This record gives sequence, structure tokens and C-alpha cells, in this order.
Amino acid sequence: MKKTMIALALASGLTSAAHAQDMVFTSWGGTTQDAQAAHWAAPFTEKGGPAVVQDGPTDYGKIKAMVEAGAVTWDVVDVEYDWALQAGKAGLLEPLDFTVIDKTKLDPRFVSDFAVGSFYYSFVLGWNPANFPDASPATLADLFDTAKFPGKRTFYKWSAPGVIEAALLADGVAPDALYPLDLDRAFKKLDTIKADIIWWEGGAQSQQLLASGEAPIGFFWNGRLSALQADGMEVGISWDQNITAADALVVPKGTKNKEAAMKFIAEATSAEGQAAFAAATGYAPVNLGSADLMDPAIRATLPDAQTAVQVNADMAYWADHRDEIGNRWYAWQAQ
Amino acid sequence: MFSAAAPRRGSGLGFAMPAILLLAAFFVIPVVFLLTRSVTEPQLGLQNYAALVGSSTYAKVFFNTFFVAGVVTLVTVLIAFPVAWALAIMPARWSAVVFAIILLSMWTNLLARTYAWMVLLQQTGLINRMLKAIGLIDQPLQLTNNLVGVTIGMVYIMLPFMILPLLGVIKKIDPAILQAAALCGATKWQALTRVLVPLATPGIASGALMVFVMSLGYFVTPSLLGGTANMMLAELIAQQVQSLVNWGMGGAAAFLLLLVTLGLYAVQLRFLDRKEAA
Amino acid sequence: MLLDFNKLGAWKWALSAICAVMSLFLLLPILFIVALSFGSSRWLIFPPPGWTLKWYEELFADPRWIGAALTSAKIGVIVMVISVALGLLASLALVRGTFRGREVLRAFFLTPMVLPVVIVAVALYAAFLRLGLNGTLVGFVIAHVIVALPFAIITITGALETFDPAIEDAAILCGASPWEARLRVTLPGIRHGLFSAAIFSFLISWDEVVLAIFMASPSLQTLPVKVWTTLRQDLTPVIAAASTLLVALTVLLMIAAAVLRKGKSE
Repeated sequence: MKKTMIALALASGLTSAAHAQDMVFTSWGGTTQDAQAAHWAAPFTEKGGPAVVQDGPTDYGKIKAMVEAGAVTWDVVDVEYDWALQAGKAGLLEPLDFTVIDKTKLDPRFVSDFAVGSFYYSFVLGWNPANFPDASPATLADLFDTAKFPGKRTFYKWSAPGVIEAALLADGVAPDALYPLDLDRAFKKLDTIKADIIWWEGGAQSQQLLASGEAPIGFFWNGRLSALQADGMEVGISWDQNITAADALVVPKGTKNKEAAMKFIAEATSAEGQAAFAAATGYAPVNLGSADLMDPAIRATLPDAQTAVQVNADMAYWADHRDEIGNRWYAWQAQ
Repeated sequence: MFSAAAPRRGSGLGFAMPAILLLAAFFVIPVVFLLTRSVTEPQLGLQNYAALVGSSTYAKVFFNTFFVAGVVTLVTVLIAFPVAWALAIMPARWSAVVFAIILLSMWTNLLARTYAWMVLLQQTGLINRMLKAIGLIDQPLQLTNNLVGVTIGMVYIMLPFMILPLLGVIKKIDPAILQAAALCGATKWQALTRVLVPLATPGIASGALMVFVMSLGYFVTPSLLGGTANMMLAELIAQQVQSLVNWGMGGAAAFLLLLVTLGLYAVQLRFLDRKEAA
Repeated sequence: MLLDFNKLGAWKWALSAICAVMSLFLLLPILFIVALSFGSSRWLIFPPPGWTLKWYEELFADPRWIGAALTSAKIGVIVMVISVALGLLASLALVRGTFRGREVLRAFFLTPMVLPVVIVAVALYAAFLRLGLNGTLVGFVIAHVIVALPFAIITITGALETFDPAIEDAAILCGASPWEARLRVTLPGIRHGLFSAAIFSFLISWDEVVLAIFMASPSLQTLPVKVWTTLRQDLTPVIAAASTLLVALTVLLMIAAAVLRKGKSE
């Protein structure tokens, strides 16, 4: 069943040119997009929707150029949630049609005028137990404690919600006092371990760093650690103060397939679509009805089950300060 | 002097026209449109340039960019010269093998090669473990996330761009000239530094130009192997353009890079001219 | 003496050693990639815990890999031909021309190389949106020719500068037309430069990822884009398997060429 669905999705991605009535879905590529094709696009087309052509990778510069030129070729795009909010304000996106997309079923943390969650995940503390036989790290403070847990640590390289919050939490800031972010304090905390940081640029690289022992401890997307465990690796995970982040589905302004785009998003965020995608990828569903459809064993590995110790990154704050934080972040890195 | 080989009619500019027209239509016009945004976004004015010039980060990244490109070019020349020299005179059987290896290395995807180096050079990587196993080191060497990593990764990519032009030039040098030098009593070292290297200079120059300028615009390899402390300008520009979608700032940084590079090029030409005149 | 391998004495061994070390340096990551493609560790752990062919199975199960490789090869060959042709003409103008401002023109031809590719990519993408060239083979080729052309021009001018125009003059004095002289005397004389220019132009296109991301469409995906997204997302040894197949293919072609050449010369 799964195989035929993937085959179907691949076949639809291979159609030589987009027919007039086809729509285009763009994401980041790799197995994530394969799963999106199999569990969102294929059922959507099966149920009478247009064929969905897979394009990618997502590029924000490309979206901006398309919208400016009034020649939009992407109908639905998977983007980072904070970028979606910022782009919505900048006039690059169509407002979503919530008469088509049922937002009452969606996790309110991941719903806004221009974007709904595509999936969500948590940044969690992970480590390689082989390197720390005596004591296991447990808190974000341990992640920043090079005396107790020596060795390189790995963090997400790009400016995005997650690492700055972790630094502040590790420094003792209460979760409800995180925003507005005290950047000076965060960078001061990060300075204390800067020489020991190896940056990961993509999820796969973070897995390689942990699995090889190059960076025995770090701050990871939860799905990447469960994938390592599923592969037979010993990996320690601490969910304490896991920080949520999300991808979003958006519709670039001026698309000719607006109606189909909204219907596609409705299908993608449906309880079934989200449950199947979550099971395939290890990301958490944004539909509140998905939990009941999922294998409890899989559910237990998702951030869904860890809401008690969860810290929500404030996407609206990030959207407003994305440029400012980004400029400081890269300047600090380059110093 | 009359040269029949010079284009008969006109000055030869016509030959360059196809390339000029292509670049004018599909490079100059689009890029000028984009670069004007550096003085119009977010509002009309020079604020992007002021921010760039006033920022110590950008100054450091500018310096890194030219420094890394310089180091990479130098190391590449030092390796490529003896290799090209050897390739030019080796028995054909051997040189064919070395040449095949050079071509083979270029054929493998650049990203795949860079990742391979990243994994090989890690502290837990194969190279460190081998050095440890044969007892050369006790502690793993830091070979990535620093200048060593960038240099290895980039020299690896750039070597063919230096070897091939050099090989072409050295092959054309008349062995009799070196024979003459020997007859005049030159030692091998004198023949090398006073005859062979000067005669190979056109090849070194075109190779070095390609390697240096290419290195200036690289960021994938430096970012994976050099860590953030060796950040190159192209990476900051890519972040501005693609991640922050701030085309004003990205355009301004790119324009400054272009100005500085062409400035250096002009200085180098002036320098070469004077040397030739002397 | 310096250009006679057998009269180099001890220097002969030094040069041979440098060549050998460099060859090892060039081969090391490739051999590593070949080994990883048969290793069972998804996380590139080496030596791998076991050996497997499953990455090759995955590679052949996904037709997009082969499709992308063919697209890359096609675009690369077209780019190579155009870039060498335009580069040769431009180089003749730069080296043999008598017009003023040749140095300025030479610097102008270098600018696509100096500007970070992402700037060229965004600018060209915006222009192509208005011209309707996006996602077309023509657009893709134009984009890659622009970045490949400086390499062709640098290598061909380099070769032309060391080629004595008097030889061409001699051919003309012997009754050849200027074009005949160029085609039959100069071109063979700078064939090494043309060869390098062709290789560089092809490779620039073959390995280029930033422009390719912008120029791509669902039906026009090149190998570097596929590798880039897969590396970021999955880091799977399937990439190593794909690279290994390409290396194997190249080695076979090289051996075939060598055998053919030998057969001819005997």
C-alpha cells in the first residue's frame, strides 16, 4: 500500500510538464517531500483533486521574485513558520481561506491568517551515551556545561527559533519570561561554549555528527534522534524544556490555482494526512484529531506526548524581529 | 607591424560581439536592476553601504574572503607547478594515469566530495584515526572548522583549474632553451627560477586568476569545512538574499566585492605592465 | 635538461613523489565515497558495521536520479559547446584585436565569475520570469553559459598568448585564407587550451547548484540539486552509490579510449 502510494507520488512528480489544471507543491526535497507527496498529494488527487506536481527545493528569494513579477508558478509551498508570518505581513502571501481549511481541528499554536502548520517538531537535548557513561545530561544547563559534559556540542547553524531560547533557558530565564528575547544575555551565554560548537546545517548532518561521536552532545530536531534510534543507535534524549518550531504551508500571492491550493492545504492538514505523514517522518501532526488515528507507540516518540515540559517558541515575535536577530546572529558567528 | 593574422577588417572587436551581447542581455541588465536595489531598499539612500562599511563583522568577513582566497591560490600554485611540470615530461604511460586521476576527481559531484572530506577530516574521522594508529599523534588534530579544513577542501577543488592551463604552457616551452641555459653554466636551480618559472608565468597567471576569483565567490566548501570563524562574504550574501530576503543589503555587499576585486585586478595589470616595460 | 625527464637526476624522484602524493590526495575522497556506497551505515560511519548493496537498490528504484544525471549531462554538453565557441571568438578579439579598451573588456568578461552566484541567480530569475524563460532548457543553458564563459575565455586567451601569430602569418603567405589559417593552424596550435576550456565549461555546469536551484522546474532537475537536497535532508549513501556509478562509468570510458588509441597506434 505504502509502496504503491510512493510510486504514484513519484509518477506524478515525473510528469514532463505541468498541465494547465495541475498544481505545484514545493518543499525541501528528500524523504520529507517524498512523504508529503505520498500522504498528502496522492490522496488529494485520488479524491478528485488535480494532479500535484512536486517542485523544489523551497527558496524564499524565488518566492519574492515570482510574486514581484506577477508570475507565480508555485501554488503551495512548505516554508519555516516564522518566515511565513513575516512574508504574510510583507504582502508575499495569499490569505488562507478558512471556509475550505477547517481551522477548528488544528492546533491553535500553528494557525494564522497566511499560514497553517505543515508539521511541527521540537528541539531536544540529545547525546551519545557511549561518550558519557557515568552521568547523563538532563537539562539545557547541562548542554552548556562543558566541565560536566566535555566535548564538542552541535547546534542548528541558521538564525531560527530554538538555539537562542535554549541559551536563555540554560541561563536561568523562566520559560514565560523568554520574550522579548534578551539577545545580549543569550549571546553572552553562547560565548561561554562558542569554541566547542560545531554547527549543523541540515538535519542529516546533525545525525552524522552525533552518530560518529564527533559531537557527542547537542540540540537536535526530535525526529532526527528517533530516526537514529530506529536505526539501532543508542541515543539519549531529554525532553526537558523541549522547544517547539514548525514548518508552514503557504500560498504565494497571485497564484492561478488559488482554489486548488486551499483544497490541497485542507487535505494536507486533515487528521488522516497529518497522522500518516507523522508516522512516516517522526514529525508531530498539527491536526488535533490525528492522535486518535495513530499507533500509540509512535505517538509516544513525538513532541505531542511531551507538552508538559514544552516551551513554545513565539513565532509572532520571531516574525517581527527575524531580520534584526538574523543580522546579529550571523555577525556573532563570524566574529 | 602588419599581421595577416589580425582580423582584416575592423579591429577585431566584432569577434567579441556574440559574448558581449549575451552578457549584456542576460547578465549586465538583470544584475544592474538587482544592484540598484542596494540604494533603493528599504528606502532611497546609501544606508546599506553605510551599514556595511560601519560593521566590524563585514570588515572581518571581507578580510577572511581575500585571505582564504589568497592562501588557497598560493597552496594550489605550489602543488600544481611541479605536478604540471612532471606531467609535461613524464613517460606518456604515467602521465596518462595521473591525468586520468585528475579528471576523475573533477567528475565526482562537488558537494559529495566536500562531504567526504568533512567526514574524513573529523576528529573521529579516518585520517585522525590512521595517524593515531601509526603513532604519529596522541590527540586527534583539529582539521575541520578552521583554516586547515577550508584550505584542504578548496585546494582539492581548485587543483585542476591550475594544473591544466600550466600544463598547456609548459608543454609548449622549447627544451632547447633550457639546454642553452645548462650550456651557459646555469645550475638546475637557476634554470628553474630564472628560465622555467618565468616562461611558465602566463600559465601560472591564468590559473591563479581563475582560482583566486573562484575562491572569492565560494561558500559551500568554506561553510562545511571552515566553520563560522572563516565565514566568506559569499555566505553572508547568500544568507541576506535567500534566507532574510534582504536584497538591498545582499546587493550592496556583492557590489563592494565586485569593486574591490576589479580594483585589485587593475592594480595587478598595472604592476605586470610596469614589469614588462622594465 | 629540466624538460628532459631522464636527465633530471634526483629531481626526477622528487617530481614523481609530488605527483604520487597529489594523486593519492585526489583519490582519497573518491575511494572513500566508493567504500561508503557499499557500507551498511546510513550515517557514514567508517569502517562500516557491514557491507550491503541496498543503496544501489534504492538508487535504481528512484528514476529521478538517472533522470537528473541525464539532464545534467545534456545541459553540460550544450553549455560546453556554446561557451567554447563564444570564448574562442572573444579570446581572438582580446589577444589579436587592435581596438582600444581590450583590458577593460577582459575585466568585463571576468565579472560573472566575481559576483557571488546567488546574485546572478536572483537577477536572472527575475528577468526570466518576465521573458518566460524560467524552467526552460534555453534559460538553464543561458544561465550556465554566463558563469562558464569566463573560464573558457581565461584558458583560451592564455593559450593564444603563447601561440606565435607568425605561424598563422606564414600559412597565409603560403596561400591560405585567414579563416583557413585560423582553423587549420591556430586551432590545432591552441588545442590544449580549447580542451581545458571545454572541460572547465562542462564542469562548471555539471557541478553548479545555486543557479540550478533557481532555473529548475519539475521536469528540469539537475544532479547537483538532487544531491544538495538529499544531502541536507537525508545524507543517504545513495549519493555515494550514484557517485560511484559515475566514477565506474568514467573509468570504463577512459580504459576504452586508451585501448582504442593503442590499437590505432600499433
